[in-house]
Amino acid sequence: MKGKVLGIFGLLVALCVFVTLMTADPWYHIGSSTFLQTNNIENLLSRTAMYGILGIGVAFVIITSGIDLSIGSLVCLSGILLALFLHVEYQPQFVTQVSQVDSIKSTFEVSGDLQRLKEGDRIRYTGGRRADSGLFTVKFVSDKTIAVTEIIPRDDTQGQIALAIPISKIERSKAADSDDDENQFSLVIAEKLDLNAGDKVTLVHPVSGLKTETITKASQTADSTELILANDPGDRVTSEWLALPQKRHQRMSAPVAILAVLFICGLLGLIHGLLVTRAGLQPFVVTLSGLLIYRGLSRWLTDDNPAGLGEYSDSLCQIGSGNLNLLTTAGGNTFGIPYPFFFLIATGIIAAVFLNRTIWGRYLLALGRNEQAARFSGINTGKVTMMAFVICSTLAGLGGMLFALDYKSISPSSFGNFFELYAIAAAVLGGCSLRGGEGSIVGVIIGTAVMQVLNNLILLLKIPGSLEFAIIGSVILVGVLVDEVFRRMTAERRRKQRLQA
Amino acid sequence: MSDSTNDRPRLQVSSICKSFPGVRALRNVDLQVGPAEVLSVVGENGAGKSTLMKILAGVQAQDSGSINVDGKPQSFRNVRDAMASGIALIHQELNLADNLSIGANIFLGREPLRRGMIDEAAVHKKSAEALEKVGLDVSPKTLVRELTIGQQQLVEIAKAVSFDAQVLIMDEPTSSLSAGESEKLFDVIRNLKSRGVSILYISHRLAEVQDLSDRVTVLRDGENAGELLTGEINHDSLVQLMVGRDISRFYSRKPHDKGSLALQVHDLVTSTWPAEKLNFHICAGEIVGIAGLVGAGRTEMLRTLFGVDRPLAGRISVGEKTISLQSPQDAIEAGVALVPEDRKHEGLVLEMSIRQNIGLAGHRRNAGLGGFLNFQQETTDSSEYSRKLKVKAPHDQHLVSTLSGGNQQKVVLAKWLSMNPKVLLLDEPTRGIDVGAKQEIYQLMDELAGAGMAVLFVSSELEEVIGMSDRAIVMHEGRITGELSREKLTEEAIMQLATTHHHSINKADVSTLSGKANS
Repeated sequence: MKGKVLGIFGLLVALCVFVTLMTADPWYHIGSSTFLQTNNIENLLSRTAMYGILGIGVAFVIITSGIDLSIGSLVCLSGILLALFLHVEYQPQFVTQVSQVDSIKSTFEVSGDLQRLKEGDRIRYTGGRRADSGLFTVKFVSDKTIAVTEIIPRDDTQGQIALAIPISKIERSKAADSDDDENQFSLVIAEKLDLNAGDKVTLVHPVSGLKTETITKASQTADSTELILANDPGDRVTSEWLALPQKRHQRMSAPVAILAVLFICGLLGLIHGLLVTRAGLQPFVVTLSGLLIYRGLSRWLTDDNPAGLGEYSDSLCQIGSGNLNLLTTAGGNTFGIPYPFFFLIATGIIAAVFLNRTIWGRYLLALGRNEQAARFSGINTGKVTMMAFVICSTLAGLGGMLFALDYKSISPSSFGNFFELYAIAAAVLGGCSLRGGEGSIVGVIIGTAVMQVLNNLILLLKIPGSLEFAIIGSVILVGVLVDEVFRRMTAERRRKQRLQA
Repeated sequence: MSDSTNDRPRLQVSSICKSFPGVRALRNVDLQVGPAEVLSVVGENGAGKSTLMKILAGVQAQDSGSINVDGKPQSFRNVRDAMASGIALIHQELNLADNLSIGANIFLGREPLRRGMIDEAAVHKKSAEALEKVGLDVSPKTLVRELTIGQQQLVEIAKAVSFDAQVLIMDEPTSSLSAGESEKLFDVIRNLKSRGVSILYISHRLAEVQDLSDRVTVLRDGENAGELLTGEINHDSLVQLMVGRDISRFYSRKPHDKGSLALQVHDLVTSTWPAEKLNFHICAGEIVGIAGLVGAGRTEMLRTLFGVDRPLAGRISVGEKTISLQSPQDAIEAGVALVPEDRKHEGLVLEMSIRQNIGLAGHRRNAGLGGFLNFQQETTDSSEYSRKLKVKAPHDQHLVSTLSGGNQQKVVLAKWLSMNPKVLLLDEPTRGIDVGAKQEIYQLMDELAGAGMAVLFVSSELEEVIGMSDRAIVMHEGRITGELSREKLTEEAIMQLATTHHHSINKADVSTLSGKANS
């Protein structure tokens, strides 16, 4: 095992040296190598980290002499689920549904509560089928009817009414902590409103138009609210405009969403495990079905439209695409460790300890070699096998979320395609035997790195991208071939030694 | 050897040596067989018979020594070479593709072609001829899986006949045949002999050997132990050559005090024999043997007692406590351990080290908080028990696959002894083990019983049952047909119970078992 890991590490080093020299110009001026450019290295680390997590997962299943083909689809499903769980909607406050719009009487009949409305309030009607949206002034309010002073041009039977709140003051000032030239735009409303940073406010004017901005800061006193907006909505906006506050509504908080995705993926892994151990199906068939099912589910859940995490590009997505900055060079280049890499390190350490230091790891290795002997030694082989599938799918979920946070937009028909094969190939390159009972976590990580460097090499050396799969396939083939030759040579040498002894 | 009526032997083997890691399987073995001669090769398990036959058939290569066929030296690189020289091996385990027809099997790898396609007509015709020669009246188009074991064996022989094999090696051909099928096979052998074919016949069943052979070569511990001619072949002379030592001292038994009840089985029903209820008990300090013919349900009973197979009904108590057996874990927790029959598949993880194998059962018990492996305990257990059981290996990090059968069995035993079981179940504990290790295991069984363990062992070797048991339980077709105390233990008494449905005991069957007893 150690020999195998050293072998693949040697291959990685050789590849890196090769690409460095090939991309440097002249070749001895290593500093000029495009391969060694900080953003390239960052990119490599990040991709290695995400694929590596998938590889570690599938290694557990491969050690039981099983296989998991559903990883790519599960990566997609977990990304889609994360996007759906974190979906954000902005709901106008003080809103009520309209059941009847009467143009003759100039009234709106509504279904909701009207306690907050009083004469002279401004309201905004939207969402009509025939009637136009517009601002109106309340003349009087009865039980379920609002009469307005303006003329309503058309009748309608649907829509909604939101309260438009007058702005008492707007202010453009230079922010204390900001060093750019842009003004900070703030507005004050003479009312205490339940608004926070991240919520939005739509500014309207009967004639001039409509503008929606995100709130960056909200501070309330007993009878007023001051809102600072992310952008200046423009000079047109004056205190004559009205404000329609919109509450940000997120389906789940980020930690809950992430845990939910991990839980669902673990559950799917458990189902794989149950089908393999209890129903006696072959892992290949079970996970091949998974591959198709999860892909289909992902597409159905999103109507085949891309799901986005754009709302989070400055916050949560940093986990997938951000770096921990380590140094800034004189030329302004920065180098940092991508956050996913820390996930890989943590996953790798836990996985290695689990595999080599705990009884379950030992059971995995034993049953991968000889399931009967493990069973006859009192090991619950079914449970241990299921555990491997759960680990694999959960890590696929983790990897999938990192990919999604990096990509930010997830296309359900292509996101994660072939990822299972990358993961399996990395595990095999890293020393896992598909016969089971053999595997090293460090090896899997190095195997993943080899695949990514290869990928990078194709890009940097301007080899046609269409050859990518062919090249990666050949390298895997040669790798396992060399390994097999070495294995036979050592076996033969050992046999001879024994005969002499 | 001088009695051969022909000028030169058809097959002559001299000074064959062969070593496997850790074992010397053959040392300077000589053997010859003439045309139209049946030569039996007998010896205990591990005496080297099967290895010798594999070398002759080109399955394995010898380390040194020569093979002459019809006076010409031959070296076989593979089975094809041996076949080309006219030597065919009928394996102990049949090597037929049971999803194909008889004809396809007979011509597998040498299909007659016609315009690039398999010439089915020729296959059919030639197969039918070969089948006729071995007296098998079945269409060559029949699928092999539809045949009985005996018929499949005849197909193997027909295959050899079809390419005109002059030397036929049969490795325990009757081990899975009924009495009737065996008789038929003997007729085929005599028939082939009359047509000039030489036959190398390997069997444990001394009665068969006596009936069939022109000559017997006896192997012991990988060496020639002697030769017997037709007139000299009888049970006693064979056994003496095979064992070569005084049997009474071989089985070491000291009288032990019987302790309290260790295992009680009440109305146990196993899934293989759902109609039979098993009742017996065993006390601490007792060694109980379970005898019976192959397929009598002994292994299944042990598997059920260890929780590998679920019992359909019944009550099992270990000590005072009734236990519920759902899995081997339950059995182990109750203090029951099983050394299984199939050491390589069920007893050991061959590609793991001695230490890891010994530790495998104890990890759960020894694990620290959070399931971390207790490496220290594993090391202590491993060194303690490999020393106690005298496991012969340079160190305990050695892979188990490199050990000899006897040492492998000791590793399995060490694994269980480290768990301190109250009841030790052993299934054919000495199968495929060399004589020295056998004796060590007998001694160990005695010591364990002396230390208060209840030892229950299944054995097909009658002599082992008689030599080691305080008491023997005899099974037949899933039922316990009787119990014999040490004083009443004789081969005849056991056989009477083991074949209880017959009113008269078949002579061949008795010899079968007594033959096994010595092998």
